[in-house]
Amino acid sequence: MTPKERMAAMLQGKAADRLLVSPLILNFASRSLNLPVRSFCTNGKNMGDANIACFKKYRHDIVYIFSTTSTVAEAMGTRMYFPEDDAPQVETPFLQTREDIRKLTPADPEKDGRIPVYLEAVKRCVDAIGDEVFIVPVIGAPFTTSAALRGTETFIKELYTDPELVHAVMKVATQSVKNIIDACVKAGGVPVTVEPIATGSMISESHFRTFVLPYLKEVYAHIHSYGLPGVLHICGKTKRVIACMAESGADILSIDAIDLQEAKALVGDKVCLMGNVSPADGMFKGNPEIIATMVKDCITKAADSPKGFVLATGCEVPIKTPHENLIAFLEAGRRVARLPVNLN
Amino acid sequence: MHKEKSDILGNLAQAVIDMDVTRASKAAAEAIISHIDPYEAITDGLARGMDVVSELFENEEYFVPEILLCADAMYAGIEVLKPHFPKEAASNKKKVVIGVVKGDTHDIGKNLVKIMLDNAGFEMHDLGRNVPYAKFIDTAGELNADLVCLSTLMTTTMDGMQVVIEDMKKAGIPARVMVGGGPISPGFARNIGADGYARNAAEAVKVAKSMFQGIQIPLAMKTPELVSIRKKLGGVQ
Repeated sequence: MTPKERMAAMLQGKAADRLLVSPLILNFASRSLNLPVRSFCTNGKNMGDANIACFKKYRHDIVYIFSTTSTVAEAMGTRMYFPEDDAPQVETPFLQTREDIRKLTPADPEKDGRIPVYLEAVKRCVDAIGDEVFIVPVIGAPFTTSAALRGTETFIKELYTDPELVHAVMKVATQSVKNIIDACVKAGGVPVTVEPIATGSMISESHFRTFVLPYLKEVYAHIHSYGLPGVLHICGKTKRVIACMAESGADILSIDAIDLQEAKALVGDKVCLMGNVSPADGMFKGNPEIIATMVKDCITKAADSPKGFVLATGCEVPIKTPHENLIAFLEAGRRVARLPVNLN
Repeated sequence: MHKEKSDILGNLAQAVIDMDVTRASKAAAEAIISHIDPYEAITDGLARGMDVVSELFENEEYFVPEILLCADAMYAGIEVLKPHFPKEAASNKKKVVIGVVKGDTHDIGKNLVKIMLDNAGFEMHDLGRNVPYAKFIDTAGELNADLVCLSTLMTTTMDGMQVVIEDMKKAGIPARVMVGGGPISPGFARNIGADGYARNAAEAVKVAKSMFQGIQIPLAMKTPELVSIRKKLGGVQ
């Protein structure tokens, strides 16, 4: 099966040869054309071509187009800093004062920030390898986008001190996310969303319910209107919020620092799970043997998850991950994840 | 009529727990009016509140917004008390240099550790985020620091921690090093030669304290003897 056939089978509940094996290859794709991250993520041709080269080299089951979780905020006016060979980071949030909200408008995907770069990358990938694999642009979800618009510390304090402003920012951010989803779908991509600022070590479940969940629901309803699946990635510790995550309407939850067995018990009957080999201790600092053990552990714990399981890394594959470690992940995954799963 | 001392101290603590900046400042002003030792107002009032906050954080009842707002209340109270500290107050605090290593600008975790260590009686020197390696070493040398805390959220900057530790050794800086942050594990901390690792800000306090156990002199000691010395020196307004 091609990765695309495999994913389609999984989504339609049909028989597949094995589970999806999907390391979160994001900025790491730049390594396949020996590009520094800055020239990878600021140029649509580079971003597309590196992902194409990367897919040809590793044949992973999903090709992601991503540089940072703040790309939507960037398109709305937050200034970014672009290190030579690392992911961009927020430099100056757009909403310096409360009054700046009046200047905040939803992003126009055709011209704002680096959304055109993403779209060009998606199109190039769709043209070159779209027959074999789904091209998945990864978009910051409303809460993460709003935090990058206001400055994370200020923003999360305002959950208490200025909830009105929080909701006002969230509304514009949600509209931006939806606009960008539209543009990604038009370009042939299958957009997914990431909401790391709403992780369980950051905010409480009650704040998640009030400030995050209603907007995520809106986003996944929008994605579902295209007949596409909703995917929600939140890294870090999510035990406290995973029940809420499962209520968002997302069909697949991509998770990081939470035991898969625990996740399965909490929400396995509602959503497909995706995870969670450690990016730091496994992919980056581990060795092929350690990684094979981690892969097997994930599959042992979650292969029988009622709504399905996708083998992935908990978060982005670090850009300095050794080639042989990624190979170890893919090989172990492909070996152990053959269906029906046989752990011996 | 002045309020009872224990009421005022209780209010200081509760204002911090309740994230109430206004009440913390007001209670601090009351402490001054009621001739409460400003150190006592901090240790038995504001800091006691922050200790409860730390527990609530460990028990996952409080999260990051709560801690940031509690800290705002604590610092608001300290601002009011500060002008009333006796001038000759000698500091026995352990000096801590803290920062996010070069290449990373995520600093919430670092800020939480700074708040908690500050509250636990360490003298904090915050270098901010995206800090060049040499800056840690230079500052630790200049201050004769006891502890250097390195933080990062990104895998790309993890290795920078090792560079700092090695360069510190080469430069003969005796300060201990504690590391932490999203991708950091105890194993990694050991491998790069760090003296300590903390999973979160509350744990950072325990680790830092255990490093100096037996030699650490708690700041703002408030034994009856010291309180009377302060009084003699005119420390109480």
